[in-house]
Amino acid sequence: MPKYGLFLGCNMPAIRPDVERAMRLALPAVGAEVVDLEGCTCCPAFGTFPSADENASLAVSAWNLSVAEGKGLDAVVQCGSCYSSLRLARAKLLHDGEKRKIVNELLKGAGKKYEGTSTVRHVIDVLYNDIGPDKIREAIKKPLNGIHAVIQYPCHTRYPSEVLGFDNPGRPRMLQALVEALGAKVDSYSRELQCCGGAGGFARVAYQDAVKFAKKKFDAIKRETQADLIVVNCITCLMHTEKVQKDLSKGGEEFSIPVFDYAQILALCLGFDPKEVASISVIPKDKVIEKILGTA
Amino acid sequence: MEEDCGDIRHCFNCGTCVAGCPASEADNPLLIRRLVRMVLLGLEDKLLDDGTPWMCVTCTACEEMCPMGVKPFEVGLAIRRWQSRKDETYIPPALVEIFETGHTQPVEKAKELRRSVGLEEVPPTIVRNQDLLKKFREMLKETTIVKNNDYMFKE
Repeated sequence: MPKYGLFLGCNMPAIRPDVERAMRLALPAVGAEVVDLEGCTCCPAFGTFPSADENASLAVSAWNLSVAEGKGLDAVVQCGSCYSSLRLARAKLLHDGEKRKIVNELLKGAGKKYEGTSTVRHVIDVLYNDIGPDKIREAIKKPLNGIHAVIQYPCHTRYPSEVLGFDNPGRPRMLQALVEALGAKVDSYSRELQCCGGAGGFARVAYQDAVKFAKKKFDAIKRETQADLIVVNCITCLMHTEKVQKDLSKGGEEFSIPVFDYAQILALCLGFDPKEVASISVIPKDKVIEKILGTA
Repeated sequence: MEEDCGDIRHCFNCGTCVAGCPASEADNPLLIRRLVRMVLLGLEDKLLDDGTPWMCVTCTACEEMCPMGVKPFEVGLAIRRWQSRKDETYIPPALVEIFETGHTQPVEKAKELRRSVGLEEVPPTIVRNQDLLKKFREMLKETTIVKNNDYMFKE
């Protein structure tokens, strides 16, 4: 069984631990073993050290990457920002010997060393390329028959494709194939590749503008699809698409399409307890979960 | 600025970086090509007062799309770093959070929530190992940003 180090980041273990639980249960059940990466920190997120001091930022990334190296494993990541931040940092460290020297000087005091031997994989990449939709289709017990899903593709897994791409950057289809493997009908829509707008500073600095931006996406989903649920694969997409729908609904029109991380919906199809793998939400998921489990 | 942003002198202001940018849709938009122009023209005072680089969603689409091999995303981060060096009020408070706890979110306080979904109360990150967290802080104390603003970073 292929084995990976699970990089948790910050939002998932603190705010959406049901996604962490879903990953810890669902990945091994389809043949991807995950082990802990002890002592990891924030990746660091782009709005933190990368925005203030590049050497400090690379040192924090190297700290995290060195934990995976110590285990001789690649890291698997759910959060889009963590994925992009760690991959971009790794590329810089491998490309620039001078920076690697500075970073290793910083790491020395903690008894760590960055070598560059481990890489970072997004969970979509692992599930599609290492496990494969066929194996997932065979493993599930409760297929999503009759369920319509739409995809919110994590923007951080697309660009810059040269450094971190694994899917076709202009026409990503792996997440869709993984959702179809669960038996759902995936409806396409015109704004499928539009970013959720939740990451970085846009929503923090100009929240109402970010809501307006996201509304275009939700309008398209409502107009063009029969979506029972939205499947995301990034913690920011998950939290933001829920929060925005709640705030949009204050305007009178209802926006209430349940949002699932892929690992959550996979875990439900594998028969794991929704109280553990899909219990935390802003937009209620109960009805669609009942529909999936056939307990409605 | 000595930063790896591609060669920004190749930018001819075509606007591809803006066309695909979510934050360009804000009322006070992030217009990365405009920022590149400001850097090239040396408009330091204007640039120091411009908060739009902080609106980037970090999707990096601009870097993928630039036809001239400039890295507009990296330009935005480099401007943020320059602003943080020139004016410490730009330094994101999340740096202090990471210095204190290793994370941007209160991972160590989610015990009940984590238990409710069948997980260990404290995840196996740095929050579980105070000795390691101390070493992490010691490392950060050796970095320029922490050295130059040590009054922010207290244990």
